[in-house]
Amino acid sequence: MPGKNWTTQKAALAERIDGGSRFAAGKRVQPGDLCAFFEAVLRPGDRVCLEGDNQKQADLLAQALAELNPTRVNDLHMVQSGIVLPEHLDMFEKGIAKRLDYSYSGPQSARIARMLFSGKIELGAVHTYLELFARYFIDLTPNVALIAAVSADRDGNLYTGPNTEDTPTVVEATSYKSGLVVAQVGEIVERVPRVDIPGDLVHFVVPAGKPFFVEPLFTRDPAAITETQILTAMLAIKGIYAPYRVRRLNHGIGFNTAAIELLLPTYGEKLGLRGQVCTHFALNPHPSLIPAIEAGWVEQIHSFGSEVGMEDYIAARSDVFFTGPDGSLRSNRAFCQTAGLYACDMFIGSTLQIDLAGNSSTVTTSRVAGFGGAPNMGSDPHGRRHPSAPWLQAGKEADDTTPPLLRRGRKLVVQIGESFGAKNEPLFVERLDALSLAEKLNLELAPVMVYADDVTHIVTEEGIANLLLCRDKNEHEQAIRGVAGYTEIGRQRDHKMVERLRARGVIQRPEDLGIDPLDADRNLLAARSMKDLMRASGGLYQPPSRFRNW
Amino acid sequence: MSQAATTTQRRVSWFEATARQRLAALLDPGSFTEFLGPAAREISPHLALFGLPAQFDDGIVIGQAKLGGHEVFAAAQEGRFMGGAFGEVHGAKLVGLLRAAKAASRDAVLLLDTGGVRLQEANAGELAISEIIRAIVDLRAEGNSVIGLIGGRAGCFGGGGIIAGCCTRLIVSEPGRISVSGPEVIETNRGVEEFDSQDRAFVWRTMGGKHRYLTGGADCFVDDDTTAFRAAAIETLAGRTPLTVSVLEAEQARLKARLKRFGAAKDGSEVWQALGVTNPASVPGMDTEEFLNATKAVRESADDAR
Repeated sequence: MPGKNWTTQKAALAERIDGGSRFAAGKRVQPGDLCAFFEAVLRPGDRVCLEGDNQKQADLLAQALAELNPTRVNDLHMVQSGIVLPEHLDMFEKGIAKRLDYSYSGPQSARIARMLFSGKIELGAVHTYLELFARYFIDLTPNVALIAAVSADRDGNLYTGPNTEDTPTVVEATSYKSGLVVAQVGEIVERVPRVDIPGDLVHFVVPAGKPFFVEPLFTRDPAAITETQILTAMLAIKGIYAPYRVRRLNHGIGFNTAAIELLLPTYGEKLGLRGQVCTHFALNPHPSLIPAIEAGWVEQIHSFGSEVGMEDYIAARSDVFFTGPDGSLRSNRAFCQTAGLYACDMFIGSTLQIDLAGNSSTVTTSRVAGFGGAPNMGSDPHGRRHPSAPWLQAGKEADDTTPPLLRRGRKLVVQIGESFGAKNEPLFVERLDALSLAEKLNLELAPVMVYADDVTHIVTEEGIANLLLCRDKNEHEQAIRGVAGYTEIGRQRDHKMVERLRARGVIQRPEDLGIDPLDADRNLLAARSMKDLMRASGGLYQPPSRFRNW
Repeated sequence: MSQAATTTQRRVSWFEATARQRLAALLDPGSFTEFLGPAAREISPHLALFGLPAQFDDGIVIGQAKLGGHEVFAAAQEGRFMGGAFGEVHGAKLVGLLRAAKAASRDAVLLLDTGGVRLQEANAGELAISEIIRAIVDLRAEGNSVIGLIGGRAGCFGGGGIIAGCCTRLIVSEPGRISVSGPEVIETNRGVEEFDSQDRAFVWRTMGGKHRYLTGGADCFVDDDTTAFRAAAIETLAGRTPLTVSVLEAEQARLKARLKRFGAAKDGSEVWQALGVTNPASVPGMDTEEFLNATKAVRESADDAR
């Protein structure tokens, strides 16, 4: 194409930098000048990544962006992991932003649903984290990225600290494709403790004067763990972890998995499983894992993000965690999601609804919470090629006819919960609320967290259903009904068939595993309070104020 | 084995225990005779109207027993049933027990774990609170002691907080909380700027066991451990202080002075600072022995009324 200009993006970036420089001293932009600065660097219709996920938030930049004049800056296309702060949605109310591609919206799930219904937001799609990151490099590359770091030096080298999370991915996609990168930092220092993001990728730095906001999302108070949850944890450990010898895994964030973590040094120890299971994790630094780490269970953990209060503990346990030369944790969401997908043999987590086929969802008709990372963790990667014992065994259970050398293994994807969950809502339903929501919003896909064909086991207080061993649709359905307790779904079981499935080991009751439900006692927990966790860490774990009862 | 695992097995947590487990651990083994136990099925006549489940003991266990060889009447509230709240039957059982203690001239031990009055039977509950207060004062006026033990999940709030204030002595552990208005109530009425009920560390700094011990709101601070509660209760029962007008007057003077001294404080830690605690910020993190050593010289003590 003779005469075509092949460097328009570099030219546009130079214009943005020139415009922004009028409000900056070197790379430094004062918070008070952010409004004028943004008007100089943003163009209507820009694709903008405002950094924020389920943990860290570029909160100062979000506030400034939401205060812009929509006649100057409008119709932005937001491409970001999290819709978490009120400002993330205020931008759409005001018309500053129009189109949205995102992944997670926990705390704003009700408001985002209302705005989607009323047409205030033009929705591209709801993604998993890894999917959205992938699209940053293909068809959702940001023009501008607004990111958050702990500190910067005068050249714009950034220290993102324990909560590095999405930042390297966002910067990589934006800066190397001629996009503009603006970072809010807690402080500007002479020399950063370590360089997480090289300064030549960062165009402007805003000293916020305070640390960015971080949500302690992965802290579960052991005091709130119930005996039913302890029973489900015992079932999972003895009925799944032990027979498959699951060493590499990811845990969801519910109380059931927290109970598993706290049972490892007690119940797991009694079963002789130390060193045999749970040695390698793709996992945030869950405080509830401290007793197991201290008891020598865990060899290695790679993390998506950090967890508030765990910083000193992580730094003092660098044999277990990934840490930088400065001593603090280095997390990376994209890498950890990849690790969870390809290098873990099991995902176990809880959900809100499971249907008769085994599809599960955390969506209700009035809340759109998004996906985060669970669908990625909770799926069987067809690109996996390396063997491991649990993967091969699960593959064999699912398919006993294909010759072993040609047989795919299977990732263990376990849903764990009580037949009646929070507010006595049944876990098992005829039809997912996600379907009604998809109809209401005219979506082409219902927001399913884990698809039926990925789920291998369901654990409730009534027992374990091994769906790998089901040979037809009817068996599959009865196996689910067979652990659905006194829910409508459970009561409509075919009792004879359920007994046949039990005889084949497809369904295992607590007594089949030699577990007495009366042994499910809180005394089995290696820590029963936040203070126990702090003590177990030798005082290194400092629980956030809202989790303390002292 | 990790330290946490072995600690859990050794210690029986008062906070974790049920009302019946607490009584079993507190009292001399085999000495407890229950009055109006679950077999009597004296259930709340009100809860069914609200579609709420009842309990056969209405959430309180009462009876007589020995404690360190000493004959006592004992009551334990079950914090897991209706938040240990006072309803008609629940309250009447405690009133009856205190009156029986007076008739028998016995000391009483109250294992309080309550959010206050049960909203579903508020009138009966409020009446019960006043009757309990009167019964405690009558019992104490005869020279008997009423010991309150507080360290349960529900804390000791509402009318329960007032009852605690009428006891001869209070034994408290760190997770125990004593107050009349609870954190959410204060926040609702006075705003989050006045009191952030979600800030749990702040809640404990202003109504938790350590704070109450430091300001004389409780007399004895023990580990969250049934054995520690038992030892403290036996030791406390050995003392004997009749309730007289001069005791009340002395306490009134102390409370006036306290208000003057600490009235402007916005946070428990400011009170500790004013008391002369060195490094108040470290108080919440201290274990029991360290805490008692660091504060015994500066804490306020009550004048046998509070």
